[in-house]
Amino acid sequence: MQMLKRLIHGIQKRRFTELVGYGLVAPYVIYSLVFWVYPFLWGLIIAFKKWNIISPDKEFVGLDNFIRVIQDPLFWISFKNILFFMIVYIPLVIICSLSVALMLNRIKILRSFFASGYLMSYVSAGVAYSIVFNLLFAGDGLINSWLGHVGITIPWFSDPRIAMASIAMIVVWKFMGYYGLIFLAGLQSIPKSLYESAEIDGASNWTQFWRITIPLLNPSFIIILVFAVMLSFNVFTEPYMITGGGPLDSTQTFVMQIYHQTFTALHAGYGSSFAILVAIISFTFVFVIRKMVERDISYG
Amino acid sequence: MGRSVRLSNRKQSNTLGLTVIYSLLSIGLIFMIFPYVWMVLASFKIPAEIYNRFLPTQFTFEHYQTIFSLGTTGSSHTFIKSIFNSLFVSSITTASVVFFGAVTGYALARLNFPGKTFLNNFVLFQMLFPVVLFLIPRFLLMLELGWINTYQGMMAPFMISAWAIFLFTQFFKTVPQTLIDAARIDGCSELRIIFKIILPLSKSITMIIAIFTFMAMWDEFLWYLIVTKDYNLMPLSVLLGLYTRGEYSSYPGILTAGATLLTVPILALFFLFKKYFTEGITMSGIKG
Repeated sequence: MQMLKRLIHGIQKRRFTELVGYGLVAPYVIYSLVFWVYPFLWGLIIAFKKWNIISPDKEFVGLDNFIRVIQDPLFWISFKNILFFMIVYIPLVIICSLSVALMLNRIKILRSFFASGYLMSYVSAGVAYSIVFNLLFAGDGLINSWLGHVGITIPWFSDPRIAMASIAMIVVWKFMGYYGLIFLAGLQSIPKSLYESAEIDGASNWTQFWRITIPLLNPSFIIILVFAVMLSFNVFTEPYMITGGGPLDSTQTFVMQIYHQTFTALHAGYGSSFAILVAIISFTFVFVIRKMVERDISYG
Repeated sequence: MGRSVRLSNRKQSNTLGLTVIYSLLSIGLIFMIFPYVWMVLASFKIPAEIYNRFLPTQFTFEHYQTIFSLGTTGSSHTFIKSIFNSLFVSSITTASVVFFGAVTGYALARLNFPGKTFLNNFVLFQMLFPVVLFLIPRFLLMLELGWINTYQGMMAPFMISAWAIFLFTQFFKTVPQTLIDAARIDGCSELRIIFKIILPLSKSITMIIAIFTFMAMWDEFLWYLIVTKDYNLMPLSVLLGLYTRGEYSSYPGILTAGATLLTVPILALFFLFKKYFTEGITMSGIKG
């Protein structure tokens, strides 16, 4: 009898904590169903429909939208622009942020002063720093008037050959401190003893850098590469604010196209299949980069 | 003798190395803060000096006066309203992300119920998908709900964050069980346990989540651009963006004043809470 009572009590108590658990996760579950699962599925469905948002009829068109995206020259122009962005952005930001991290790792005095100094740019809002760089790098802006003293002016945002590179450069400004701190955390997790034994073996600084530092920074490299690739596929605010996609479509990006197709031209189905293709391409890039760069590191 | 010579040589090359490092870091730092300094100076310059003089010869408040009195047809002080809109939307969202993040994270870390593993995986799953996939269907959902041009519409996609739930879940796993048990024996409700015992013990993760959420909301551009049409409801980022591309594009003084207003609050937040910014970034570097 006593035992049965204890058992019932135990079950009741368990049921009670389960109920509490469900109660606590309920807002999240409901919210996710409404604002995540439902839009997610809907996005998949309208990608197969022809629909202009205003009219009530949504015609099922199969893979038509996807085929039209692939045949759209602007899709390929945007793709090319993003690749160009990545080719400039990724090496440049890695060199800058790794150099900062290596230097910060060497100093003791004023380290946190410099670290927060380099991080300041990270908190600037997209719209604000786009305005600032647009004016600074304008044809008759301050930078060109300084360069004018040595006889050159650079049409940063108005030459289609370099406009995207200029945008990549200002994004480097924003993110190098952020990536620098990630590298710094990686550097500090490398055991000092490895360098000490390399020193005893007579390895030069150069050898130590390539044989110890770079391989053991692999996790930081992965994170930064993944961040940088995702960022590249999502570039929007800077070209929208500075160049509007021009000159000659040289700064069009995927997100600008999706925005334009859906919210100016009202092709919701087309925009949706565009977005799905972009997501697939960015997943592929991240996957390939991980496969190429990721190494299993172990030491100790 | 030989040894001490070698040591002092080494010391010398070390000091030399450090001098080089400090100089390089300082030069780099000048490049990093130059755009900020220029922006603030430009917002106080007379228009003729904005483009081609770095240091102004005279200060003026005219750009700020103009920006604060700007209005649209039928209303005034649009800019001041937009600052309020930004603050309002960012604060509510931040509070909601922290509240629901903590509650859900607690349940996922500390309570047992069928389906918990599934939910834990679902949180990770959600974090994988890029925002671009959701822009259009969420916009359509806002149309359906009649939430275009409303505060709800601006905030809806950001109210609960999988990222915050994930961080809270990870952190709450480290809180000692004895504390929770003791509170239960004292008759504390689960909500009281979360907000009176666990959150105070998790101050730094809570601050990190709050600060990064606030900053992201303040900086958000694309979603606000999509769901707001009424100038009086627009957050600062969108209003400034539209002004820049529209009628004020040739008034650099007004634009830099606007950019300064958009930057200063976040910069202030950054200097107040530097520690949490650094910690948050370092954490993402270690955990990935």
